[in-house]
Amino acid sequence: MALSREQIVSGLVRILGSEQVITDEQVLKESSLDRYRKYEQVCEVYTQPIPAAVVYVKSTGQVADVMKFANDNRINIVPRTGHSAIEGGLETTLVNSVVVDGSMMNQVLKIDTYNMQVTCQCGVPLQELDDRLREMGYTTGHSPQSKPLAQMGGLVATRSIGQFSTLYGGIEDMIVGLEAVFPNGEVCRIKNIPRRAAGPDIRHVIVGNEGALCYITEVTVKLFKYQPENNVFLGYILDNMKTGFEALRAVMVAGYKPSIARLYDPSDAGMHFAHFVPEGKCVLIFMAEGPAGITKATAEGIESLIAEFDECDAVDPMLISKWFDGLNWGPEEIAQEKIEILETKNIGITTEVSGCWDCIYEIYNTVCERILEEVPDMTLMGGHSSHSYINGTNMYFVYYYNIVDCPPEEEINKYHDLINQIICEQVLKYGGSIVHHHGLGKARAKYVKEEYGSSYYILDTMKKAYDPNQIMNMGTLIPVTK
Amino acid sequence: MNILNCFKVVSDLDLLGEGDWIADEQNNVDVSFVRTGWNCFDESALEMLLKLSDLSEGFNVMYNLSALTIGNEKCDTYLKTLYALGYQKAVRIDCENDLRFCSDFVAGLIAQYVGDQGNIDVIITGKQSADGENGQTPFLLAEQLGWPHIGQVTMIEPVDETCLKVRTVTDEGEVTQTIKIPCILSVGNAPNSYLRVPTLKDRLRLGKQPIEVRKVENQGAAGQGLLKLRAIDYRRAGIIIEGDSPEEKAAVLFRQYLKERL
Repeated sequence: MALSREQIVSGLVRILGSEQVITDEQVLKESSLDRYRKYEQVCEVYTQPIPAAVVYVKSTGQVADVMKFANDNRINIVPRTGHSAIEGGLETTLVNSVVVDGSMMNQVLKIDTYNMQVTCQCGVPLQELDDRLREMGYTTGHSPQSKPLAQMGGLVATRSIGQFSTLYGGIEDMIVGLEAVFPNGEVCRIKNIPRRAAGPDIRHVIVGNEGALCYITEVTVKLFKYQPENNVFLGYILDNMKTGFEALRAVMVAGYKPSIARLYDPSDAGMHFAHFVPEGKCVLIFMAEGPAGITKATAEGIESLIAEFDECDAVDPMLISKWFDGLNWGPEEIAQEKIEILETKNIGITTEVSGCWDCIYEIYNTVCERILEEVPDMTLMGGHSSHSYINGTNMYFVYYYNIVDCPPEEEINKYHDLINQIICEQVLKYGGSIVHHHGLGKARAKYVKEEYGSSYYILDTMKKAYDPNQIMNMGTLIPVTK
Repeated sequence: MNILNCFKVVSDLDLLGEGDWIADEQNNVDVSFVRTGWNCFDESALEMLLKLSDLSEGFNVMYNLSALTIGNEKCDTYLKTLYALGYQKAVRIDCENDLRFCSDFVAGLIAQYVGDQGNIDVIITGKQSADGENGQTPFLLAEQLGWPHIGQVTMIEPVDETCLKVRTVTDEGEVTQTIKIPCILSVGNAPNSYLRVPTLKDRLRLGKQPIEVRKVENQGAAGQGLLKLRAIDYRRAGIIIEGDSPEEKAAVLFRQYLKERL
């Protein structure tokens, strides 16, 4: 028989003490969702079941004790660190869920500059970690736009990626070792080694699990030398996205690894670069980073490659460099955004996907066409590519709409989910992936079987094996079936 | 009622880093690499007029909204946005000069336009721009036109064809008055700061209307010479409280700084 809210709370208090178990109503409401339901969040309307408690854990042992308690009593657990998720991964979908917050596990345990790796607990904020490393002349190389907010556990759990990924890779390339706690309380450590071939790479059971399989308590990531004095920026204005994708592909296929390779369509470029880019033009941006010899050669190589595309006109690199300095979002920007949304009833959302080179333009083009045709009250529809590979790239759709004659609790149905549906349909049609780096969350979990195809068997079996009592962030990755 | 909204497009100075605040030989700070936006007080005024227009139905008053700015063709994007939002006329006085500290000249240009039109009933503008911060243009404009001026406007509502209900903020509190036209209203810190956003369909349908571009006959007349420009170093005294834990630091803060004040 399910425990009551009061029994859940008293059980958690017995494990952690009352100071670490929060039942304040406002905290519980704010913990029932994430930025996927941005409009509800801004309007302070809470449509998801309010959790029974938010608990702050301070050690791996406490995480294990809480997980065992939840597993024994079939209580839904929502793992959380920075609370910067944007795909519904933190929504407390089931009644009387418990949010387990690891932000107090915030110690940097070891900076090992000889082996070039840093070990930290799950609640270490990435901005703080990287600022500290940069003072020493190092960097993690990981710089998602959520950097001022995000913490290490969540960044690994969502398989996040940063702005310099074309050089440093995504988080999956940066991870060395991990510690995680599974629903039955089992604590598993994966040691720090450069590589091994002793069976499958089990780190990838944990990286990207989005809290649906286990709770990440500790991570070790690689270090890189921080050499910003060698950075070289390149920027170009061009007429169309098709050419832009071809230019990106040319750079990647030639073997260059700029840390930044971005292509903005006219709508998105208009938001960022209107002060020097004419209306209706696309923007192509590169940054070379690393040792001086490499950045020089990379920049020169890219310049000569792009010169073969007649329609690409170079811009002053200083314009790109200055723009880049103001890109990240912190608490101040989010607070300002809230006021703007409430006043204007205009809201901006993003959805990121990926595709191979032969389909990414069709994905971009048909998504934009369909959304403009089928979704009402659109005020902006566009996007940019920001993470490229030898075999393809991502597409980060950026869209804004006015919320017209629609209460907050209906906005997600009338606009946001409809847009996501169109994007996912088009991506699946052309063989791309419906999620590049934000995580499946609960927002796009309904498309998981189409996304995985026959390989869904692997995901489904993992979920059943690691979480047989179904306590780990239910609804994330795999939808809850009634 | 014909209402003219005068606005300015300004550089987003918040995007300048500390090291960017360096004046060149012409006493200019390079802002070429930062994006532009609506001057904040003007943005409030633009939205205020649209709200006035929204309310007009029940009052049997037709408001014809026009917008005017002074600048180069980079301002046209903003004028097209206003067309898409329902403004009936968009005017740009073409001028490349630095007009940050030329309130008299600016007021003269606006007054000349108003005189040429002959049918403007109300002029509304923000109280000052983010880059010049002179706070003079509405007053000088009122002087040149011989119209009354009301500042610190926070709300405008319809009354009839000859009057507007205007709320302002004063030192004593809020004042609501019924004002006869013609008049000049300037907007300070209004409750609504942000301009609404036009849909893409409205931009396609309305945003392509022609912008009236007027030339300035004597560009050299903008004569307020800037003699010197330097960054003010804003620093506040501060103390860093040391401690091994948040509890320890809080205890130091309480003992040494708060206890006697509570």
